[in-house]
Amino acid sequence: MRPSAPLLRVRDLSITHADAVHPSPGDVSFDIRPGEVVLLLGPSGSGKSTLTLALNGLIPHAVPAAMTGSVEVGGLDTADTLTAALSTRVAMVFQDPDAQIVTGTVYDEVAFGPENLRLPLDEVHARTDDALRRVGLWERRGENPDRLSGGGRQRLAIACALAMGSPLIVLDEPTANLDPQGIDDVYAALTDVIAAGDRAILLVEHNLDAAMGFVTRTIVLDRAGRVAFDGPAAEVIRDHADDLLAMGVWLPAATLAAMRMRDAGVGIDELPLTPEELAAALAAATPPGPSAGRVASADDRRPASARPEPLIRARGLTVRRHRTEILHGIDLDVEPGTLTAVVGANGAGKTTLLQSLAGVVPPPRRQVAVDGVDPGTASPRELSNRIGFVFQNPEHQFIAHTVFDELAHGLRLRRTSDAEIAARVGSMLDRFGLEGKADVHPFLLSGGEKRRLSVGTALITRPRMLALDEPTFGQDRARAAELLALLHDLRDEGTTILIVTHDLQLVAEHASHTVILAEGRVHAAGRTADLFRDEAIFTTAGLRLPPLQRMLAATGWSLA
Amino acid sequence: MSASTFDPYASVVATSPRQFLYALNPLAKVAAVAPAMLTLIFVRDLATPAVFLALALLTLMVGARMTARTVGLLCGALPLGILAVGIGFSLWVDAELVADTPAVVQLGDWTLREGALVIGFATALRLGAIVALALIGGLTTTGPDLVRAGVQQLRVPYRVGYTALAAFRFVPRFGHELSVIRAAHRVRGHHGGSGPFARVARAWGYIVPLLAGAIRHAERVALAMDSRAFGAHPTRTERHLVPFRVRDTVFIVVGIAASAAILVLLHPWQL
Amino acid sequence: MASSPLLTTRVLLVCAAIGVATGILGGFAGLLTPGVIVLTPYLYGLVLGSHVLPGIIAQEVLRRPLVALVSHLIAAVISSAFNPAWSLRFIGTALLFGAIQEGVAALTRYRAWGAWRFFVSAAVIGVLVAVVVFFAVDLGAFPLWVQISYLVISVLGPIAWTAVGLGVGTSLSRAGVARR
Ligand SMILES: Nc1ncnc2c1ncn2[C@@H]1O[C@H](COP(=O)(O)OP(=O)(O)OP(=O)(O)O)[C@@H](O)[C@H]1O
Ligand SMILES: Nc1ncnc2c1ncn2[C@@H]1O[C@H](COP(=O)(O)OP(=O)(O)OP(=O)(O)O)[C@@H](O)[C@H]1O
Ligand SMILES: [Mg+2]
Ligand SMILES: [Mg+2]
Repeated sequence: MRPSAPLLRVRDLSITHADAVHPSPGDVSFDIRPGEVVLLLGPSGSGKSTLTLALNGLIPHAVPAAMTGSVEVGGLDTADTLTAALSTRVAMVFQDPDAQIVTGTVYDEVAFGPENLRLPLDEVHARTDDALRRVGLWERRGENPDRLSGGGRQRLAIACALAMGSPLIVLDEPTANLDPQGIDDVYAALTDVIAAGDRAILLVEHNLDAAMGFVTRTIVLDRAGRVAFDGPAAEVIRDHADDLLAMGVWLPAATLAAMRMRDAGVGIDELPLTPEELAAALAAATPPGPSAGRVASADDRRPASARPEPLIRARGLTVRRHRTEILHGIDLDVEPGTLTAVVGANGAGKTTLLQSLAGVVPPPRRQVAVDGVDPGTASPRELSNRIGFVFQNPEHQFIAHTVFDELAHGLRLRRTSDAEIAARVGSMLDRFGLEGKADVHPFLLSGGEKRRLSVGTALITRPRMLALDEPTFGQDRARAAELLALLHDLRDEGTTILIVTHDLQLVAEHASHTVILAEGRVHAAGRTADLFRDEAIFTTAGLRLPPLQRMLAATGWSLA
Repeated sequence: MSASTFDPYASVVATSPRQFLYALNPLAKVAAVAPAMLTLIFVRDLATPAVFLALALLTLMVGARMTARTVGLLCGALPLGILAVGIGFSLWVDAELVADTPAVVQLGDWTLREGALVIGFATALRLGAIVALALIGGLTTTGPDLVRAGVQQLRVPYRVGYTALAAFRFVPRFGHELSVIRAAHRVRGHHGGSGPFARVARAWGYIVPLLAGAIRHAERVALAMDSRAFGAHPTRTERHLVPFRVRDTVFIVVGIAASAAILVLLHPWQL
Repeated sequence: MASSPLLTTRVLLVCAAIGVATGILGGFAGLLTPGVIVLTPYLYGLVLGSHVLPGIIAQEVLRRPLVALVSHLIAAVISSAFNPAWSLRFIGTALLFGAIQEGVAALTRYRAWGAWRFFVSAAVIGVLVAVVVFFAVDLGAFPLWVQISYLVISVLGPIAWTAVGLGVGTSLSRAGVARR
């Protein structure tokens, strides 16, 4: 292979899934050369994942989809070379670390690929050792991968990709499931990988803040799956920020913040991509007018004096699972009408807390009161009159065979009349944009529709409280924004909302109150705006303020 | 069955040199006892299964590590099980078949006769002996080693073997998923009643979400394995060898010879 | 090199998933076994019949050669890891049930997938199971009514479980899982 030859050559590529009408992606052409780090952006459903699957021949060989155009990897046409043979030229890292692990120890896992290639034993060992050292897992080579953190398992997946010896590594949302520490771990490993300059990376990523520092080029797919922009990352994002926003693509938090400030009248010339650039831009910005500059957070406007009776009250809540104590004496009040976020590192006990408060897993008696009942003793029906619970994976909670029955289920259990069921379900369908889907099987909805349906089923009995476990996980900006808008509407109608999330940016922008958990205890709780003023509260809980918040806290700006 | 404590990859190793069972090929441990197990199905006396049971227990005591769990299984659960099955089966035996044997228990006009006890305990000992023989391999072999031996000696295609290894990883995941589904359905108020039928109806509701999630997860794992050259060649480099050595042949020969000797000496068939 | 194998990795792993999931559900049934043997031995066929599930669901979902056998084998390996005492029984029933289900499907050249085909396999399995267990628990010594109800239940057990498996398969296709 000539040194200047592209590692990857994609020409007029269109892919149509077995039961899809339009191709996504459609008519895509680009090359990738050694040393490039390419960020692939696009709204949900634009075909990013589909495109990555075509790069090592999984499409058309393993996934049923019609493909036209050509993909050439290191001189091999993927249409007539099997994925196994292409694996030495393109290595893949997928989103879910659990779905990539096959064997019982970290070492076996990395060796799995080289063994499949029938390499001699010495070579297998050499590659495995090298890959493990490069991602910093050498010390843990004998362990079961289950014991690694999410970030550790994703680093393991990167080591596995490295051990294949391929010059091009393709990563599809490798950090979507991780807490801040895990994300840092993954990017540290990747930065190390490209340092040598002989490899190239194609990265699909929603979290642009982490990626911005290290990509060299951006390809943006539009909603129809065509290449909208292709060029140096900074240039594409700066020049087309408004188009990207309209498409529903995530942008760096600093860019989004600057765009909002600009709309509010702050004079910012060149859009910043990183918090540092934003800080610099603000320092140079035209001083804000009295109303536009320090925009107060929505909740600071509410009078803090009148403290209503809490809707949820926990006293000394202690929860065990399999004889280990997970929550140690939690004291917590949640006031009605708030949007309270529960945050914490992986394993801090967020899910356990939420499930105990909502009675999903009944807590010990007399430790929790929700709207006057004890979830430790109340019947599921009493509870679901008061709390709607939305599970992380909507499919887990679907019971019926049609969307209509799914929504009607809670009402039928309460012996509501058929006429009223029809009316309430109908209005719920309208509200969540599911009008045409009443007779569809819930499993056949798109991801965003499933999420809305699960919120709808939780709300149909009109509970005063809605609890959601990581609802924006794995969604694009447009869908996440849609959900958040919905939550704000509900809150305005008086519903109290409790939400578990890893996304501190979301917390900063949307939550009125925040509870920080660390190792099964309440580390801090209070108004979001107050907590975000002190970075130390977060770092001591193993969290990190989003870079943007750190910068804003340092410079004294805040956002609406 | 607790999915969270289940680690099929945890290696089992001998802690002292006399524990020879761990060093044997998994297939040898099966081959040595399988003829005896099959024959046991067809014997009817008390002595033969008792001897096999004793022999199997002795082999385990010497050749396997005696953890609290193993001792509990071999000296607690197994004898109790045999006792329960023995008594249970004696109650079922056709009274006319044993009418000419002396009565052991008399309650009103119901009698438990010695013949019934003999038949019941013959069955119980037979099942006990079969279980004990199976435990010789079962307690001293890991699932992954059994799979590897299948691939290396029985020529099971390695793609099937490694699929089984990957499947071990599914167990805790699906177990957890099932518990989440159950909690989710409970919250939805899908809780109607507590009788056996309500329970079955509820379990039915778990099956589709569980299997749908399971199959999607499997499809993702398959993509990841394909991407790492799984199945690229007819064979693959093996770092973990599960060799078949002279000692394995010896173990099989001794096992079969011992079984034959016992059967010849006791001659358990009622011809 | 450019031809794909008879069983793709995807098919193999879907079989594994079906094996493990039915194995977990079957694990609860497995816990019942000792109790059933002691209290109501003639119902044993109903319990043993549940072992037809992996093959039925795999065939109904995937409709390909060898998927029943592979699903059975994986279910057996997984159950054995939990319950070593029954490992040979698990592997034995897996090979036997898998072979019968494959055999019946092969006779129709993997073209006919009507419900009747699954019930034929179930009946064959029922008869074989009845004979083996007859000897294992010495049914000859039991009263005639026990023997007869035992034989009937042994044949009906796999048939009932086959109906359950078909129901699961239909629900899965309605939910759009694992399109063939
Ligand atoms: N297995 C499949 N069968 C049928 N259609 C599919 C399949 N996978 C994806 N699609 C469809 O193909 C289109 C592209 O999907 P793809 O997953 O590639 O999008 P994406 O850009 O990766 O989105 P996201 O940001 O949500 O991951 C979508 O319309 C999607 O519904
Ligand atoms: N059923 C269980 N059995 C044993 N341990 C459990 C169980 N559920 C949770 N744990 C443990 O309890 C701790 C808290 O778990 P939890 O799921 O509440 O954390 P989390 O904060 O939601 O984490 P994540 O961010 O990863 O979702 C973890 O260490 C976890 O391993
Ligand atoms: Mg995607
Ligand atoms: Mg959680």
